[in-house]
Amino acid sequence: MSDSIRPAALKALLTAAASLRNPELDAWTSAGGRVIGYYCPFIPEELFLAGGFLPFRMRGTGSTDTDQADAFFDHLNCPFVRHSFDLALRGDYSFLQGLVVGTGCDHLRRIYDNALHAPLEASFVYLLDHPRTMGSEEEGAEPIVRYYREQLSKLKEALENHFGVAVTVPALRAAISLCNETRRLQRRLYDLSVAPAPKVSASERAAVMMAGASMPKERYNALLSEALKELETAPETPGKALARLMIVGPAIEDPAFYEVFEEQGAAIVVDDTCFGARTVQALVDEEAPDPLTALAKYQVVDMPFCPKIGGSHAHRLRFIQEMVARYRVDGVIAQGYVSCDAWGCSYALLREAMQEAGIPYLRVEREYIHSESGQLSTRIQAFLETTGGRG
Amino acid sequence: MTLPAASQPADAYAQLKSEFGSMTAASFQGRMAEYVASGTPIVAGTDDFFPELFTAMEVPFYFVVRQGLELAFHVGKGPEAVDGYNELGGSSSLCSLQKAAAYLLMKGRLPKPSAIVMTSTSCDGQTAVNEMMANYAPWSDVPKMSFDASFEKDEASMEYLGKQWMRFIPLVEKATGRKFDLDRLKEVCEESNRQTRLLFDFQELRRAVPSPVRAEWGFLAYMAARWSGCGRPLATAWLQRLFDTTERRVRDGKGIDGVEEKIRYAWFDILPCWSDQLFPRLERELGAVNLMDLYGYSAPWPVIDTSTLETIFTSFAKRFLIGNPMTRQIFALSTVYGGDAVHIAKNFKCDAILMPSHVGHKDGAASHRVVHDLFREIGVPFLVVGCDVFDERYMTSDVVFNKIEAFFDTSGLRR
Repeated sequence: MSDSIRPAALKALLTAAASLRNPELDAWTSAGGRVIGYYCPFIPEELFLAGGFLPFRMRGTGSTDTDQADAFFDHLNCPFVRHSFDLALRGDYSFLQGLVVGTGCDHLRRIYDNALHAPLEASFVYLLDHPRTMGSEEEGAEPIVRYYREQLSKLKEALENHFGVAVTVPALRAAISLCNETRRLQRRLYDLSVAPAPKVSASERAAVMMAGASMPKERYNALLSEALKELETAPETPGKALARLMIVGPAIEDPAFYEVFEEQGAAIVVDDTCFGARTVQALVDEEAPDPLTALAKYQVVDMPFCPKIGGSHAHRLRFIQEMVARYRVDGVIAQGYVSCDAWGCSYALLREAMQEAGIPYLRVEREYIHSESGQLSTRIQAFLETTGGRG
Repeated sequence: MTLPAASQPADAYAQLKSEFGSMTAASFQGRMAEYVASGTPIVAGTDDFFPELFTAMEVPFYFVVRQGLELAFHVGKGPEAVDGYNELGGSSSLCSLQKAAAYLLMKGRLPKPSAIVMTSTSCDGQTAVNEMMANYAPWSDVPKMSFDASFEKDEASMEYLGKQWMRFIPLVEKATGRKFDLDRLKEVCEESNRQTRLLFDFQELRRAVPSPVRAEWGFLAYMAARWSGCGRPLATAWLQRLFDTTERRVRDGKGIDGVEEKIRYAWFDILPCWSDQLFPRLERELGAVNLMDLYGYSAPWPVIDTSTLETIFTSFAKRFLIGNPMTRQIFALSTVYGGDAVHIAKNFKCDAILMPSHVGHKDGAASHRVVHDLFREIGVPFLVVGCDVFDERYMTSDVVFNKIEAFFDTSGLRR
């Protein structure tokens, strides 16, 4: 499907991801709506929705350097953290009334310290203590789920007290239902890539996923539903990719990174990234007696995890293997930042597992802003030869 | 750490160092080869969460990351282990000590334990080593428990971790055949309380001007209390002698023998493996004396409440999260990290603080601004060095020396 005949709804979603602000977000804030920024999919946006906020997943979109953030963070720190914090320091996130940071990794949690120290414009800055392990087979996850439920409850109270809102059980249930609908729609988006020639590119899919955390959820669901209707009924695209790849690692916000693969004839049909397929695999239990427990359980047990959560490797590996089978993947690309010990270390284990399974594997270290197309293209070309073009 | 060849002021310190060596040789760590040879069940973990438990049960325990020191950096094989890890395809920015430990693990050079304990502290690198241990195929049949540490430090959070840890006892009993005895654990904890009290008292002596001992003695005292002799009367007696010897020196107004103390500073991170190349030279050429390092600093340690098993384990959680050096600073807000450094600067009358900013310490790297501003408020010069405290290839000791010398000059401290 060429760009000129892309559904209007899809174009609206792509526009929303191309910059921090978008028309839907602007309409929300113009009408007096409040926005809470948050880092990481471990922080349940349902909680913010139930309080009447628009949850906005923090990004570094549009950032060109980290000059201001570098006064707070070192070059050893995660470039995503530095770029997104730089935007916040420059006032690009002035539409936020609150910022919630998780204790997930060494880099992210220092955003909280530095946001208070800077300080940022948002009046509400909160550090959410979320679990860093899934527990073990012997121990089980129940105590961890209980603990996280208490932390979510504290965040709920803090939101209520600071903003004078009520986060009620019915509102939480409605928010869970709304977000589950988003997940179902996003799964259908991924299903489009099961076909030999995917109807959406990886950069488009990534943009649509990012848009989901950047605008009012109801509007997003409506736009995505409309876009999917058109895409699903569109004629099959002729031809097929030279190789079908899965990409693994931290979120990729710069479409130029995907385009380097696509220019070489490869299709990235699925991923395990922070904005990606991992976040839509499971649904939150809508029937659970206590919605906060349901959210905690989803975060601790059900959602496939990134490697900063102890005990997650086996789960993640299982997820990757399932995706490889479902999407008929020819090779796995493990990407990430030099500074990310969590992902970086997990790749030693992943490489071993991929070798054992006979799945071609390529490790790519990158910066937040993609700038090494030539070198990367050469590596991809060489890698595609090893995949045998089984697409 | 490699200890400087020149021992402390008098023969008493030489004797203490010799005794420390004997104590280490007799510790679980020192006898590891013997346990392996005899088939004695061993427990492994990614930190010393509750060394008192293993002393009480007489179950040999080893701290996996520490093996990077014992089996690599201390025997001249650090760079080889680091390079070996890099070839495994892991994180290139991981702490070099953790790289060495992970390499030793993956190459089958660590003793196979009978049980493994892991907790989600203190840094991403530690979690990564946990994962490597949990997924190391030859150890797949080893029972493991992985616990979640709270970032919060309130009473409920401490109980949360303590209650999880308590569940490790039956696993240790089953895996090692050793019986747990609460009364024995209480005895060990009482001894441990005496030791950590001595750690703190010894630290307070080091406020004296001139400094009675080098910073390395703080680290040795920590090792005696927490690693080599936790809960053992022998280590308590050693700590008492260290305290008595040092107290006499303070009373006599004696500084370090052969050093004219001109600049007092703290090295607020782990003492480097290449200490021999740096600290004696700073003393010799600049009269600069290192008063404190991260592990030599006691906050002080929370007392273990021995009333019940629950209170003991809640106390272990408190000790680990708010007493244990590094965990205390890293797994907490920047203001705790910076606050400790400021406390040292003020109370130990430091002319300057050196923040080595070890390359593996990403959280510290993200705290510089907060810490820097705290130091600006109190008017104490502060330098971020940016070295690797284990692998000197990252930044040689000569370069570090030159940086520090220039910093002392520009701060007007060189006299």
